[in-house]
Amino acid sequence: MKSHVQSPLLFGVLLLAAWQAFVMAAHVPEYLLPAPSVIFANIDRALFVQLGVTFAEALAGFLIASVLAFVSAILFVRFRALEEGLFPIAIAVKTTPIVAVAPLLVIWLGTGWWSKIVAVVLISFFPVLVNAVKGLKAADAEYRELFQTLGASRAQEFRKLRIPYCLPYLFSALKISSSLAVVGAIVGEFVGATQGLGYLIIVSSAHLETATLFAAIAAAALAGIAMFYVIGWLEKRLVFWHQGEGE
Amino acid sequence: MNAVTPVTSSQPIPLLQPDPLITIEKLQVRFGDVAAIDGLSLIVRRGEFISLLGPSGCGKSTLLRAIAGLVPSAGGDIILRDAGLRTGFMFQKPLLLPWRTALGNVVLPVEIQNGGSVVDSTDDYRARRMLDMVQLGDFADAYPQQLSGGMQQRVALARALMGDPDVLLLDEPFGALDELTRDVLNEELVRIWQSRETHLKTVIMVTHSIPEAVTLSDRVIVLTARPARLIEDVPIRCPRPRTPEDPDAISVMKHIRMMVRASR
Repeated sequence: MKSHVQSPLLFGVLLLAAWQAFVMAAHVPEYLLPAPSVIFANIDRALFVQLGVTFAEALAGFLIASVLAFVSAILFVRFRALEEGLFPIAIAVKTTPIVAVAPLLVIWLGTGWWSKIVAVVLISFFPVLVNAVKGLKAADAEYRELFQTLGASRAQEFRKLRIPYCLPYLFSALKISSSLAVVGAIVGEFVGATQGLGYLIIVSSAHLETATLFAAIAAAALAGIAMFYVIGWLEKRLVFWHQGEGE
Repeated sequence: MNAVTPVTSSQPIPLLQPDPLITIEKLQVRFGDVAAIDGLSLIVRRGEFISLLGPSGCGKSTLLRAIAGLVPSAGGDIILRDAGLRTGFMFQKPLLLPWRTALGNVVLPVEIQNGGSVVDSTDDYRARRMLDMVQLGDFADAYPQQLSGGMQQRVALARALMGDPDVLLLDEPFGALDELTRDVLNEELVRIWQSRETHLKTVIMVTHSIPEAVTLSDRVIVLTARPARLIEDVPIRCPRPRTPEDPDAISVMKHIRMMVRASR
């Protein structure tokens, strides 16, 4: 259990030490590659405020997207016509890069929270939708026959069979979309924002404040990792019965 | 060869009065252009243990599924004696829900009948009784993944009994288990069938094992390969409890084996 954490941590520290040594020995200018010590010195309260903004946008969008996608998946599986009509459209929208749409969102929704939240929803909706549809259909025909012999209604079949059966699929999608959510929030901030990590990245790169830039990048990574682990923790509680696969 | 005087068909059967529970008349089932069952008639009497015996893919499972209403008929009739006749179905696989404990799985039929998740203490008590009956009283809180294949199939049997069926339909229920486990479970099945604790009186079991069919059944319905037709309806009169080594049982097995061979 412990070595699980220990060895990556050890290598991480070694890597940082090598980086520090290299920058000091080769006298690399700070605007190109700041030393880890300089980057750490740039971690302040302001950074955490920006991180909080981005994290809140990502989380809100992620929750909205997950609920919307799961409900849509249930409707798709319940009503074939909906799936046949809307799934191709969903795929078409999915292939549109979020970077291309973000400026439009800012025009429509302004530079506040909503343009970012909608960007997050757009980017994290599809992985959940696709996997949830797959998971809701994954229960073997034999299980459905069992429910048929027990006289189960369609609603009971969903509640007691299809939805629990779908959970492993849902969680592997949630892990993907939680990382994407942070990407969506930052892209939204790139295009037009007054706060957040994306805003900080744009501003500090324009001023060649590379150490701040690195600190912002690290914070963005941290936000993604935090979401990923919270979901992994939830998964362990809820899908305790499922072994292997799903990762 | 003719040493086998059918211990079986020539003599009258005193025990089983015609008391039809399920009447199947000229049943036809088709899958697309393929006829799985073509004009099969059969009367299932109250209290009988019947085996449907035939080579794999002969349509015997299809017949069982048709009785359970899982496949539609293309012609003919399946007449249940009364509309309220409860059937329990058991599949070859246990089909337990892995997120539910053994007890949670057994209680499922009642939950579905009640239309919700509310299970009262009577249901809980009865589910525990069913687990006791299949010798799994101590495993009520175990998850299916923690149970062996044989134990999982016992839970499935307890679940099938939980709906308090009049007729139990078994589709090669122990076919995926090793022979020793299967023998034990077969004995228990007969014990449960004979016990008075459930309403269960009639059992219809699909099997492709002649010894299994002969040791368990009052009647063995021997079917041909697809489309399923009746070769012979063999009453088994050997006294219970039986073993596959009983001389009477052995001669019946020989008889059935010969008929199957002759039908090819």
